[in-house]
Amino acid sequence: MDAALSKNGARLLRAFFALVVVFLYAPILILLIFSFNNSQLPSFPLSGFTLHWYHQFLTNADLRAALETSTTVAALSSIVAVALGILASVALVRKNFRGKSPVTALLLSPLVIPYVVLGVSLLLLFQTVGINRSIFTVMIGHIVLSLPYTILVLMPRLQQIDVGLEEAAYDLGASRLRTFRSIVFPLILPAVVSAYLIAFTTSFDEYAVASFVVGPTRITFPVYLYSALRFPNNLPQVIAVAVVVMIVSLIVVVGAEIGRRIAERRLGALDV
Amino acid sequence: MATQAGTEPAHIRRRRRLRIDLTTPSLLGLPVAYLVVFFLVPIAIVACYSVDVYSINPGKHSFTLAAWHDFLHSSVYLGLFWKSVKMALIVSGIIVLLAYPLAYFLALSETKRKYVLLLVLIAPFLTSYLLRVLAWKVILGNQGVVNTFLFWTGLRSADHPISQLLYSRFAVMLVLGYVWLPFVALPIFVSLESLDRRLLEAASDLGASRRQAFRRVTLPLSLPGVIAAFLFVFIPTLGEFITPSLVGGTSGYMYGNQIVDLFETGFPDWETGSVLALFLLGVVAILTVVFARFLRAPQLETS
Repeated sequence: MDAALSKNGARLLRAFFALVVVFLYAPILILLIFSFNNSQLPSFPLSGFTLHWYHQFLTNADLRAALETSTTVAALSSIVAVALGILASVALVRKNFRGKSPVTALLLSPLVIPYVVLGVSLLLLFQTVGINRSIFTVMIGHIVLSLPYTILVLMPRLQQIDVGLEEAAYDLGASRLRTFRSIVFPLILPAVVSAYLIAFTTSFDEYAVASFVVGPTRITFPVYLYSALRFPNNLPQVIAVAVVVMIVSLIVVVGAEIGRRIAERRLGALDV
Repeated sequence: MATQAGTEPAHIRRRRRLRIDLTTPSLLGLPVAYLVVFFLVPIAIVACYSVDVYSINPGKHSFTLAAWHDFLHSSVYLGLFWKSVKMALIVSGIIVLLAYPLAYFLALSETKRKYVLLLVLIAPFLTSYLLRVLAWKVILGNQGVVNTFLFWTGLRSADHPISQLLYSRFAVMLVLGYVWLPFVALPIFVSLESLDRRLLEAASDLGASRRQAFRRVTLPLSLPGVIAAFLFVFIPTLGEFITPSLVGGTSGYMYGNQIVDLFETGFPDWETGSVLALFLLGVVAILTVVFARFLRAPQLETS
């Protein structure tokens, strides 16, 4: 007898799980359907198939500019976040030092700060110091948000690496940097890639903080999206973009997870 | 490493220790400095604005607790805060209750491919937040999918759409629940997954029914995951302003919206806004410190 679940219990739970999955995916599916619907309003009855909205958004210069801005912001801020995350994780995993727990708490604290508070704080900082809002101020905010995620992804991977490998490299005369480059970095590379992707998607999707610190000219995609949602005649176009962005992000996320599993299994096979 | 240390010549040990001592500050220097400058200092600046040491109004300013005093005696702001607390409690409570059986199913039913199913469950969480809110705007509006479907099928006349669907407290809570549900299952799953199944077998051998085993063994052992899940939703939901501003209308207006409005409307009041922001931060900080041991453990185990 299974101690955790009866046969009927398992059946019931499976049905409930299926129901929740339907609830989670139905809205996305509805967006998909209405992105091909030939009507200004997303409403029943469906009024015919069209690719008009996709065509319209491809030729919408503002929207493309916003997508490009977000890609730039996400790509650059994630590089900094991952670099800082690697430094911090190596210290937290490999070193013992006084004040380790307050330092850890500080590094992870952006995880729990309400985004509205961080947005307000950065706005006041830039205002007080006299820095104009731009894509750089958005990047600054996004690095704060992404840093703890990169640490949470990198630390467990670093913990798995045998310290003996690094010591062997030192003993053979490699410098610290050389050891990191030739031994540690290749071994944590899968985690570095997933940390980068998590930071990238965090930044690409971030509205709350960006809304406070974004500049007047180059706005990010979520900021564009938010303002577009206020004008109903943009709705079908926005739905089409939504579908494209969601599908791309689903593919990236699922692909990254599978890639990480495969890579870590291979590294695991090397027994390190 | 530790076991070898005793057998090493003293000079090598000293060199190694020296190397370690030198690297720790150089590793932590940049990340810590970054967060001090762009995280702690900004919060300190908010504190300065809240006591009028800094101000957007020109002229000389001196320290005053007037804004704090007004806030603590204001039925409007505190009322709004309690309303948001209630909404966040309801949302977090309901979706933790919904997520528990999902996590239980994945962790304990011996389903093949549980990680694939877990990914299916979590994937929507990893797509754009705004776009998931947009989906509900499309679904719930007066001319939205639900209402026009009802008109079309004749279940309701077009003159009388169900108008409370969008721009209501209900809409805010529904959308927040939708947005966070996949995420909540994760910490609960982790705590159930790490449960030693032999404990359940032992309980059953000792004559416990499944229900007793669940109540006396499984539930208490998964409680840390449940508390972590609850807080992971409660904290961001409490300060939420995006969802209420898109689907909440006036009745779904939350504390976070008030903060945004104090900074962004035509009549900004940064002093009061700073007080509201710091109060929220304080509440969240207290919750985090009190429940820190539940928050930390599952996160590190997950990865």
